[in-house]
Amino acid sequence: MGKTILEVKDLTTKYITRFREDVYAVDHVSLSLEEGKSLGIAGESGCGKSTLALSLMGYYFPPLHYVSGEIIIDGKNISKMDPDTIRKNILGKEIAYIPQAAMNALNPTQRIISFIEDVIHAHYPEMSRKEIYESARKRFEELNLSPAVLEKYPVELSGGMKQRTVIAISTILSPKVLIADEPSSALDVTSQKMVIRMLKNLMEKGYIKSMIFITHELPLLYNVTDDIMVMYAGQIVEKSTAKDMIFDPIHPYSKGLMGSIIVPEAGARNTKLTAIPGTPPNLKKPPAGCRFAERCKYAFNECKANAVGLKDFDEGRSYRCLIDSARLREVYKNEQQ
Amino acid sequence: MKNIFYQIFHSQKFVAGFSILMIILLILFIYPLIFPGDPLQMIGLSSFSKPGIYVSVYDAIDSEPSTMKLPDADVKRLMKKLSNEDRLAMKEWLVATGTPEDVIDILDTDGLLKLWKDSYDPSLKPEGMTLAKRNYYKRLNASLEKAFDYSRIIIATKDEETGELNEEKTVSSNDYININDVANVVYLPLGTDNFGADVAKKLVSAAKTSIMIGLIAGSIATFIGLTFGLLAGYVGGIVDDFIMFITNLFTVIPGFILLILISYGIDQDKRGAAVVALVIGVTSWTWTARSVRSQVLSLRNRDHVNLSKLSGHGLARIILTDILPYIASYVVMALILQISTAILAEAQLSMLGLGPKTTERPTLGLMMNWAMLYSAHTHGYWWAYFPVLLFIALISFSLNLMNTGLDQVFNPTLRD
Amino acid sequence: MKGYRKYFAKKLLWFFLTLIIAFVLNFVLPRLMPADPIANIMSRTARGINESAATRAMYENYVKAFGLDKPAIVQFTTYVRNAFRGDFGQSFSQYPRKVNDIISNAILWTIGLQMPAIIVGWLLGNILGALAAYIRKGFDKLLMPLSLFLSCVPAFGMAVILLGLFAVKLKIFPVAGGYGFDLIPTFSWKFIKSILLHYQLPFWSIVIISIGGQAIGMRSMSIYELNADYVKYSRYLGVKDRKIVRYVFRNAMLPQVTGLALSLGTMVGGALVAETVFSYPGLGTTILKAVTASDYPLLSAATLIITIMVLVANFAIDIIYGLIDPRVKATQFE
Repeated sequence: MGKTILEVKDLTTKYITRFREDVYAVDHVSLSLEEGKSLGIAGESGCGKSTLALSLMGYYFPPLHYVSGEIIIDGKNISKMDPDTIRKNILGKEIAYIPQAAMNALNPTQRIISFIEDVIHAHYPEMSRKEIYESARKRFEELNLSPAVLEKYPVELSGGMKQRTVIAISTILSPKVLIADEPSSALDVTSQKMVIRMLKNLMEKGYIKSMIFITHELPLLYNVTDDIMVMYAGQIVEKSTAKDMIFDPIHPYSKGLMGSIIVPEAGARNTKLTAIPGTPPNLKKPPAGCRFAERCKYAFNECKANAVGLKDFDEGRSYRCLIDSARLREVYKNEQQ
Repeated sequence: MKNIFYQIFHSQKFVAGFSILMIILLILFIYPLIFPGDPLQMIGLSSFSKPGIYVSVYDAIDSEPSTMKLPDADVKRLMKKLSNEDRLAMKEWLVATGTPEDVIDILDTDGLLKLWKDSYDPSLKPEGMTLAKRNYYKRLNASLEKAFDYSRIIIATKDEETGELNEEKTVSSNDYININDVANVVYLPLGTDNFGADVAKKLVSAAKTSIMIGLIAGSIATFIGLTFGLLAGYVGGIVDDFIMFITNLFTVIPGFILLILISYGIDQDKRGAAVVALVIGVTSWTWTARSVRSQVLSLRNRDHVNLSKLSGHGLARIILTDILPYIASYVVMALILQISTAILAEAQLSMLGLGPKTTERPTLGLMMNWAMLYSAHTHGYWWAYFPVLLFIALISFSLNLMNTGLDQVFNPTLRD
Repeated sequence: MKGYRKYFAKKLLWFFLTLIIAFVLNFVLPRLMPADPIANIMSRTARGINESAATRAMYENYVKAFGLDKPAIVQFTTYVRNAFRGDFGQSFSQYPRKVNDIISNAILWTIGLQMPAIIVGWLLGNILGALAAYIRKGFDKLLMPLSLFLSCVPAFGMAVILLGLFAVKLKIFPVAGGYGFDLIPTFSWKFIKSILLHYQLPFWSIVIISIGGQAIGMRSMSIYELNADYVKYSRYLGVKDRKIVRYVFRNAMLPQVTGLALSLGTMVGGALVAETVFSYPGLGTTILKAVTASDYPLLSAATLIITIMVLVANFAIDIIYGLIDPRVKATQFE
């Protein structure tokens, strides 16, 4: 077992809306990530996966607020640090982030190099512009990006190029954890491939020690990550290795999520393509029982009445459901026939 | 639809603007009912009478007085008589003749008069005082003494033949008449203007005309802008290039200058309010066209429009059923802004003497124009121009406030 | 830089195109009107002259003076040629002064008044709008309705109010004119002081009006930018807040530059009318005089000059904008 890089215990964060309502978008989430590993987080849009990405950095500004829980990065508990220390010592250096909409992630009126200067200066004020330029150039070359990009404005770059530039900027300080929030969802297939290759490249070269990859496209996770976590309505509903999650999902929601995609693997060829009916619950007033009960076709009365905790099953897997895992497997098997 | 109205009427800004506008409109409709009459009628033979209640002196004398003894009547009478300069002059005299400065309070009429009575002596010649100044004090003293002279004033008629005066009536300082007994009382809440017309009445009528001009001009501008914007945005190609060329052209060439040139070309006698409204409308459509076009561009490739195109619907039908409803809120906002700018444009045009003709009906701009021509602003006749300005600003403010409110409802990104 | 040259050339071409159209409009519009311009002038200038031979002679004189006996295209070329030579003919109302003499006097006053006032108003408005967007809370709640109200008061209205308050009531500033009526224009300290004193009220009335509109625009631009993705991204990379605020306001300010170009015509129009309130010796007052005295050559020249001034200012703003906004560089310089 490798060294644990990121350890999150019972993290809860909330949004406060314009009307002063609390929305708990991340509800008691725990996870851990070892060196050299990558973790995928999947779920429908609005399930809290993007909020989780932001919450993991320990740096909160309205409308997002910290409620409780701990985040430990490489042995340092950052949930007790003051925001300015986090800004200076953690963000970008220990944990970095690639936003969902890389198209608009760069300041349109600033050259790439100038933004890199601002990023590096925020952490290493003593570095000279020349040193910064040199290290940026070197890193860009290593990542197969033309150093000419440095002198350009964001508008002069194509979509895929912009995304790769954003990845290069996010990892320029060699963070231990990289959180990639749908880094490839708005791109064409070729650009998508290049982005994935670049992320793998970063891991291999050791510029990042571990990665969290968030997406709604499950097949992507199978290729990229070691483990997968499925989120629903702010909670984790299932944790497994990538392989188990794709071929043997246990939680009805994970099962449904798998059913709504096509996995390009021989064994999955004859899965029926189904969408999950209904919509996720309103997190302003989450239901008392299982949050998926409303949409779950296996739900019975007790599901709606009592909240369910995460339960371990098999080897290192866990899920959040009242029904026994063996029973669920049986039911799925019968359905298949 | 219901939901949209609910949202609109929950926007504080919209409701505030809407209320101001409604109050103004209410005043415009109710005031003429309470005080009917022709707003252009020249009731005053002198210009710029102060705001207030005017009582006919002639009728007042005829009314039966009641005698009243009010404790502060004399003081009040004196206060009206003694101007600030007089008081300062009195102080100057008192100081010059040896009264210590700190016992004199020029705002205390009673005390001042007492000091004055005690120490004024016309034979004294304080050092350095000119004869003219001493004569001024003599006159002042005389007028003050007269104020203390409680004899009656005699009203007399003249005998045409002998030229003798026959005493008809006497008026004492204790006579009061009931204002209800006077046959002729005029309420002029905002005084009169240079023509001697009732400003309040005129203002109400002018605001109505200005709003009409705003409505007509705004509708014309919005209609032209909407048509051009729709065509440019939806049809595209050469039509777009051509319309955008014209639009850009008239954006850089100031509309106000065009307005001046066109208005000057139209004879003053033919320049009615409607004509001015037309001219304003024709010269101010450009930005509506611009923004409608950009809205349409973003709509043009939406699925429902493509679907309609595939179903073989004609241009008119697509525009009317698939595009217009989506930009309707936007067009309403543009119309509101156009109305408010048109009202301002009329005022500015009139200020340059290029507004509607004066003889027909007043507009807010014309009222400003005449007030300026007769230098009401330099003479301090505030009632002739300030209420007009306030009306212009409030109408425009209420419309803009409504517009901001709508904007926040329809463009959620702007919401705070 | 080659790209910029192309952009510049494009803008220059557009400038000349609009200039030509402006000339055409200035020439054609008054002539398009149904009324006979000469008869129009005659009805006002020949009032009281009963002798028909005299009016006949006057009429023909005017026809000749305007060149109305020649074909329209000849009239137009003469008009343009004369305009370029700075020859706008003789003023009717201030005979025998030349129109270009009157205009060249007034133009300095107008530029001297309006250019600084519009720039100062634009700057102050942007600063206030940015602060309102950044601070929010009470400042915003107070400033925004106030700005909106101010932007709804016409410039001449603000002029009248300032004049009533500071010149008539408090007697701090003079009531009218560009300098003391008892002074002869010289480079003396006394004269300059008088100019400055007369400058204050017209200047501030234009500034205050412009502040309102600009502050509102800048505030919503800033709020929009503050919510932009790059702000969030920069924050999560640990970039200092001070730096991010700088990005935001720079980016919000840039559209305000184009906004200024678009609203310049309206602003100048409003300011011209404000001039008349103070009888400020600029083009606004000149137009008022020309209108009241039916001095057609003077009016036509004044409107042409104002149009050209606005076009030049617009061109200048476009050129500057191309230099400062990289987005324009990228999209227009290919």
